[in-house]
Amino acid sequence: MALLQHVDTHRGVQTAFGKIIPEKEAYSYCLRTIAAFSANIFQVMRILNDDWEDRTTQITEIANMMNCAACAGGEDQLFQYLDAFYDEWNIPELVKRAAWIGAIWGDYGDEAEDMAGRVIQFTEDRVEKELDTCPWDIVGSEMCNMTTGMFTANFDIAAGGEHGEITNDVQLNMCEARGCGNPHCRVVAERRDTFGLEKQGWLDHRGAAHNPVHDTPPERRVQHGQGLRNGQYTNAFGEENSLEWQYNWVAQMGWVWSISFPLIAIRDMAEDDDEFERILKIVFATAGKNSFIDPFAREGLRNWLDIPRSIGDNDPRVMGAYIGAMLGCQLVPFEWEAFDGEGVEIRVDQETFTGRFEMAPLDEITLGYEAQWNGACHTLVSPEWSVWIEEDDDDFVITVGRKIDDRAL
Amino acid sequence: MLFKEDEVARAEAKAVRENAAWYRWTHDLVEVTGPDAERFLDWMLVNTIAGTAVGRGKYTTMLDEDGGIIDDLVVFHKDAGTWWLSTLYGPHMVRWFDAHKGDYDVAYCDITQSWDMYAVQGPNSAQVMNDLVANPVDELKRFQLLETQAAGVPVVVDRGGFTGELGYEVYCAREDSPAIAAAIDEAAGKHGAPRLKTLEVYVRSLPMEKGMALRQDYKGLTPFEANLGWSVHMDKEFFGKEALAAAQEAGAKRAFVGVEIERESYEDIAQNEIVRKRGIPVGICRQMIYGYTVDKNIGFAIVDAKKCPLGTRVTIGPNDSPATLVEAKWC
Repeated sequence: MALLQHVDTHRGVQTAFGKIIPEKEAYSYCLRTIAAFSANIFQVMRILNDDWEDRTTQITEIANMMNCAACAGGEDQLFQYLDAFYDEWNIPELVKRAAWIGAIWGDYGDEAEDMAGRVIQFTEDRVEKELDTCPWDIVGSEMCNMTTGMFTANFDIAAGGEHGEITNDVQLNMCEARGCGNPHCRVVAERRDTFGLEKQGWLDHRGAAHNPVHDTPPERRVQHGQGLRNGQYTNAFGEENSLEWQYNWVAQMGWVWSISFPLIAIRDMAEDDDEFERILKIVFATAGKNSFIDPFAREGLRNWLDIPRSIGDNDPRVMGAYIGAMLGCQLVPFEWEAFDGEGVEIRVDQETFTGRFEMAPLDEITLGYEAQWNGACHTLVSPEWSVWIEEDDDDFVITVGRKIDDRAL
Repeated sequence: MLFKEDEVARAEAKAVRENAAWYRWTHDLVEVTGPDAERFLDWMLVNTIAGTAVGRGKYTTMLDEDGGIIDDLVVFHKDAGTWWLSTLYGPHMVRWFDAHKGDYDVAYCDITQSWDMYAVQGPNSAQVMNDLVANPVDELKRFQLLETQAAGVPVVVDRGGFTGELGYEVYCAREDSPAIAAAIDEAAGKHGAPRLKTLEVYVRSLPMEKGMALRQDYKGLTPFEANLGWSVHMDKEFFGKEALAAAQEAGAKRAFVGVEIERESYEDIAQNEIVRKRGIPVGICRQMIYGYTVDKNIGFAIVDAKKCPLGTRVTIGPNDSPATLVEAKWC
């Protein structure tokens, strides 16, 4: 056998120092960074609104409304939307829209977000989904409840026969939630007419299922979704989507459902934009500082990015490389403008940076990351160095540089 | 996902195996017409379609340029010059035909939204059907059509199905569907034949026990690798033949086999999970399911033909579920 011509080529994100972060690892990290951003936003919400029931109701309702927005156009638009979904996902006509499609819809989203699990039951009257993992399990109980509003919307949209009317013909319960400490997330949708169930309010979705649930034994639970296990997701009808497709999808949509949608309600909880942004900056700055309090966190980062020992601890390139790796893993294109001991400058397109999903740009990404990275820089490198983001025509320039600020946060 | 303790699913499966049952089952329908319809289908499909008598049907696969299966279907010569193709997903078939129509004078249309379909399956299904339709079905051959009436409206009956039992499929105009469903319910009720509601029982569990797969299970395999060589007529020209002949000459690289999972259930095994022999990847699995007739967790897999003879012990999925490779047919 002749020697190989070259080593196999694997996709990955290259760090500032040439190390390749493998695609699967980059994807996992991307998911977790979006979840962490979401967790920070939810902290902002908790400061603005100390009433769990009220704030949870508000974000759940907005999540339902935004997911139902597909119904907002003309009547034909909904059917075109559903037809396209059937076509894209190879769903045969025999699959009743009202009965089942919500589960199909949710399953591919779950898997793309590495919420790994299984559809336990899938019948005309009942769907049971069990999730063993969830990168968003750090966000908190309000998010678990919020997702029930999204799931309900999926069934409402799928029912779809009556334009603009929320039929809410299933009772949907998240019986267990990892974000609340359960080993699984478990979502059960049961047809109200079949089981004689009541219509639910936004805070009623955490009850028990009507029929018994199936609990997968620990030895048969999974650690990751199909994409990380097998390189692709395969739906119930054999349609396959690659890990690459999933990664790109979640790098857009993860920002939408877990941040953009709840933010609509959270911004309204503040007296005005100034109050919202003041609290947001404080929360994100604190989160950033705490990222690198521990010496092993700093050492771990150096190892992860393969930062050579010739670059000392008090060097802006350490922070610049960290930002570059995060942008790379989040699939955000950028250019290095400067990368030396005097400072780091990273150029990104404004629309790309804030509009991960083009239709839902998030200015809060700029506000949040500027505060978070600046805070992180103070513990990862030293308070001598700061991070700021400035506009430059259509771009942002992210700078790691020296800055003296007598009113620094 | 089905579990052995699911008594509802078990009762549904038992009804089909021991008596009869019915359910709505609309695989998609593509209608093909035009002067060159027969020649076109004979070119696009591996079985010999030319000469199929009116009122009869044939099972066949459809291949891509590499000789790999992209669809499996039954072709019915419904009326003189009119062909019905049953496929699991009509839009894909129409797009494939668009790409390869060439100069054939042929028209085709996805008529799924115009026709509804019900399946009556089980050893006593003929009795249900004889109570349902105006003409007796006893003499129908496999894949033979009967144009008759039920509940006072026209229906087309085909002797066929997807359970491996004696069975019939009833096609009706979409607007007549509620009346036909009510009539089937009444006729079936006389024979204690329930309506099935668990999709995975009639789409997966019952068919798989009999070795019947869905098109996605065969994806990319040659018909020979998929144990469907009997349907290939190499003595005629068809799309993908050249590549298929080369693949046949080279010998099968992959084998389409059954797997039996030894654990109590298979929650950790999705479609396309990696199959390993002594820790080394040797293939991928298709969907697993519980078979209530055979009382086993079963599934299909595509494995390295040379490394994996039947009887090979393997592991599947992230938790190394032990399994044995078997013939892809259980009863």
